[in-house]
This record gives sequence, C-alpha cells and structure tokens, in this order.
Amino acid sequence: MTADKLILGVPSKGRLMEQTADYFARIGLPYVKVGHDRGYRGAVETLAGVEVAYLSAAEIARHLQLGRIHLGVTGEDLIREHIADADERCEILARLGFGRADVVVAVPECWIDVSTIADLEEAAALFHREHARRLRVATKYMNLSRRFFAENGLTSYRLVESLGATEGTPAAQTAEIIVDITTTGTTLRANDLKMLEDGLILKSEACLVASRAAPSTAASREAMAAIRSTLVQVE
Amino acid sequence: MTAESAARFEALEAQAEQIMGVFAQTGYERIAPAFIQPADIFLDRIGEALRNRTYVFTDPDGQELCLRPDLTIPTCRIYLERNPSADVQARYAYNGPAFRYQPDGGDALRPREFRQAGIENFGDADRERAETEVLALALEAVRLAGLEQFQIHCGDLGLFGALLRALPIPERWRDRLLHQFWRPGTFHTSLRRLMSPPAAWRDDGIAALAASLDADDPLAAEQHVAAYLDAHGLTIIGARNIGEIATRLVSAAADMREEPLSDALVSLVERYLTVSGPPDAALDAIAALAREAGINLDEPLEACRRRQRLMREAGIDTGAMLFDTDFGRQFEYYSGFVFQLELPGRGIPGQIAGGGRYDGLLAAIGAERDAPAIGSAIHTERLLAATGGAP
Repeated sequence: MTADKLILGVPSKGRLMEQTADYFARIGLPYVKVGHDRGYRGAVETLAGVEVAYLSAAEIARHLQLGRIHLGVTGEDLIREHIADADERCEILARLGFGRADVVVAVPECWIDVSTIADLEEAAALFHREHARRLRVATKYMNLSRRFFAENGLTSYRLVESLGATEGTPAAQTAEIIVDITTTGTTLRANDLKMLEDGLILKSEACLVASRAAPSTAASREAMAAIRSTLVQVE
Repeated sequence: MTAESAARFEALEAQAEQIMGVFAQTGYERIAPAFIQPADIFLDRIGEALRNRTYVFTDPDGQELCLRPDLTIPTCRIYLERNPSADVQARYAYNGPAFRYQPDGGDALRPREFRQAGIENFGDADRERAETEVLALALEAVRLAGLEQFQIHCGDLGLFGALLRALPIPERWRDRLLHQFWRPGTFHTSLRRLMSPPAAWRDDGIAALAASLDADDPLAAEQHVAAYLDAHGLTIIGARNIGEIATRLVSAAADMREEPLSDALVSLVERYLTVSGPPDAALDAIAALAREAGINLDEPLEACRRRQRLMREAGIDTGAMLFDTDFGRQFEYYSGFVFQLELPGRGIPGQIAGGGRYDGLLAAIGAERDAPAIGSAIHTERLLAATGGAP
C-alpha cells in the first residue's frame, strides 16, 4: 500500500461489493480496479490521493481498528464485533442504507415457555441443573453476544463459535440457541427457530467508517476533507 | 514464567518457598497440577466473564483444552482422582502460574501469566475451624513475606442462602433468587419480577395450557405439552426436552397461584444486602433484621459468631476486618465464608490474596457428593510488589 495516500477499504465480494461501488459512483467518487482484473487494488478516478483496497468485510473492521486503512465500508455488526471500544477507535461517517441485517437472539420455536431474555435466563438455569452443563449459544458474534447478555443479566450460558450454518446448530444439537443475523426471519423459521421479543442486539447496515488510528499525512488529510465535504453535499 | 529478570525471578521463587514452608508446617502436601486442563470443566463452572479471559485452544485430536485460569479446579481434580468418593480429608498446597487474558497484554501487576501460591483444604466437617485455619495461614504467609498493613475484607455467601431458606416463600422462588444473587446488576429487577407473570403468558393458549398441567403428574404434563406442540405444528429440536418445558410451565403456573412476595420481604432482602461493617456489628445487624421480620437465623449466625471466636483465639484482629453481606457475589463457585486481603490506596490493583468456601464445586466436577472444601491463593507478584521486592 502506498504510504502517504488515503486508503479506502471496500468489500471484495458479493452484493456488498457491488452496492458499495454503486454508492461511491452515486456520490461522485467512482473507483475502478487498477492493474489485473483479479487484483485487489483500485483508484478513485476523481480523487488522486485515494488508494482503494479490496478486502473481506471482517478484515475491513480489523484494519480500521489497527489504523491500516483510513476509511472502510463494512457492516456495523462487524465493526461492533471486531473492534473493542468501536466508538473511540472509529467514527461512522455515513450509514449507507444497504446490507441491512438484524443481529438477534433466537431459540427453538418449540420453547413455548420462552419469549423474552428473562424467560431464557430461567430456562437456562433449569437447563444447567438438568444437564450439568451450560446452555450453548452458537454464534460468530462472540463479543456482541457477550456484551448483550451481560447487560441483560443472562449468565447461565456458554458461547460456541460457529463460522457457518449457525441456524442449523440447535437441530444438530451442537448448540441450544443462536445469535445470528436475519433480514426477514425466513431462515430462522425454516430452521424451527424464533426470535426473542427483546432479543434484538443490533440493527445493522453497511457503514462508511473512518479509523482514528490511521496515520495522517498531507495527502490523506486532503483526500479525507474532500470525501467529507462530498458526504455533506450528498446529505 | 513472567519474571523478566533473573533477580526478580529469584526474589519471587524465594518468597514462594517461604510461603510454601508455612503451608507445609501445617500439613499441606505440595502438589503440582497440570497447566493444561480440559476446557469443559472450567468453561461450565466459571461462567462467561472468566471464560472470556481464559486461553482456550483445540489440540490436533480435536480436544478443547485451556491454560488453567486458576489453580483451585485443577487441585480439586487431583483430589478427586485420588479420592473419587470425596470422603477423606486432604490438605494440598501449590505454587505456580495461572493464565488469564489481559487487554493489551497486561502489565507488571496484572500480567496475563501470573503466579499463585495457595492451599486447598478438603473434607473438614468442622467448617468454622477450617475457615480459621485457612485465613490464619494466608495471614501468616503474607506477614512472613513482610506485609504489615492490609485490610481483611470478608463475607459469607451461606448466610444469604440461610436467609432465603428462612423466608416463607415457595422453593422455586428461593432457587431463582439464589441463582440471581450472582447477578448484582439485575438482582433488584428479578426480585420484583417474582410477582409478575412470564411473558409467554400473554399468549392465551400457553397460559391456558400451563394452567391445565398437573404439577403432581410430570409425565402427563409432558404429554400435554407434546400434544400442544404437535397441534401447533411446532417441531421439537435441540437438547432441551419437553419435560423441561413442561416443568417451567408448571412452576410458572404455580407461581401465579401464590401470594405475591410482600413489600416487607422484598425490603428485608434488600436491607440485608446493604449490611456492612466490622463482623460482630454486622452479625448483630443481621440478627436485628431477622428479629424484626420474625424469622429464625440463629443457627447460621451462631456458626458465624463461633468463627469469629476461633479467629480471635488464633490471634486474628477480627475488629479490624470488614464484613459485607454482598461480598463475593462475583465468584460463582463460592458457597460460604469468603475473604480477600486488600491494600486500599496503595496503587496495587486487586487483592493480594483471596479465598473462600466452595462446598458445591467437587460435586459439580464429578464427585459423588458435595464435600466441604475451602482454599485460598496468594498473588505472589503483587505481594512482592507490596513488600518492596519488585525491582
């Protein structure tokens, strides 16, 4: 990466990549890949001081935390999950209106006695006694879950990291409940799960985020000012 | 090891040897529990707060392991290996590192790899005597290391259980309050919530189902719930079984038929949790609360008073101790007397030493029965710093 430029991290895959490119084109900062088509570098045609880095959405969050990129587009869920003290280390410049997903706590639909976190806490305590182990929560959001449960007084549980097909874990009996993203709830229902009434952890969407830890150079400051003023005009 | 310099390493070792000498004189056998432990036992017992700080890893066989975050559970495992029925007395002492994640790698006084020198005392049925012995040894050890000024902060988690047992409330509420006791932040809400129906009751079908279940016939209750699930097209998935769902519906329905928890009882519990002061005065205050509420706490209070007498006989200045009824609420496996040696205002974080009774832990990790157990551990790095031994 070029040392003195402003580095903008954008998603390298899928819908999020396309929507992010559309967004920047719409606000007048279209970027294109530089060099090989399969490469991971790009440039903004209208702003010379910017280098575009194509990264995975989770990497963007980590790079923002460490200050390896100045700006990045990624889901708020990943920002809050991967960055401790996200509000101190980063600044959300804009919410982009796509990539919407809710991070929720979901339990089997057959748990007719459980519809709130308070119910869950009681059921979990009973489960702990009955099975001599804690209720397992499958999730890729280890930190978000831990924080949410601590704030809401749920303690008789144990997190199990799940990196895919989280909704299937209760049926497969590798976990009892899950914390996962949902947009319409269809996948939850298809897996015989239901969301708890007060189980909404985060309403997430794609965000343009600035790192407070990234090195500041004359070129990066100039590019940042240009981008900020573009954002103000868009609003 | 964390000791960065040879001098510091030697100072820590010399101090630890002195401490281990104190323990050995009273018959504590030196053991060396494994650093690497099965993760399950820890993660199921210690709760998410410490799990968060435990180094957990998977070995090539797929076994989930951890670096021991403390030495109490590893020592319990050695005791159980030698005495599976947990019915003999044993005294063990250890000195070695434990491992806990610290943000940003920790610092000299909160290292992620820290040492503990400690003791565990199993199977002594004379609880107050054993508690006195363990506290007295911790005091002797830190004094021998040169620590003169410190505060003994203590409490008794068993008293809260005794208070709940003495209250005229259903067993289920007692269980729930005992469970909630460990969550100071939400305890007040749970106390109030005992009087309101579960959220699921807003669904008339579920409320009616719950009301129709027979508490004395769990099998029939289970069949009723199964029929309800079937009729509503709800698939049964996961490890939580229908029996558990039925049990909760039955107990919630029973709650709804109970007299609500009176304001007087709520206030008694809340006032109990604010009692704080020198132990004798605190025990008097608890006795006064009990008298006022017309409940009998004579037996547990007499046990506490006996402990006070034994400690005085052992030369401990009990008048200088600080007793808090809600002390120890963050350590989930403790069950009775708990204590910490603290250095208020000395700029040394956390406690120098701590310990307590954990009578339920052995059974929880596989013993055939609950057995009396109490222990304490000294943070030797902090002790060295407090006695001016740090380079």
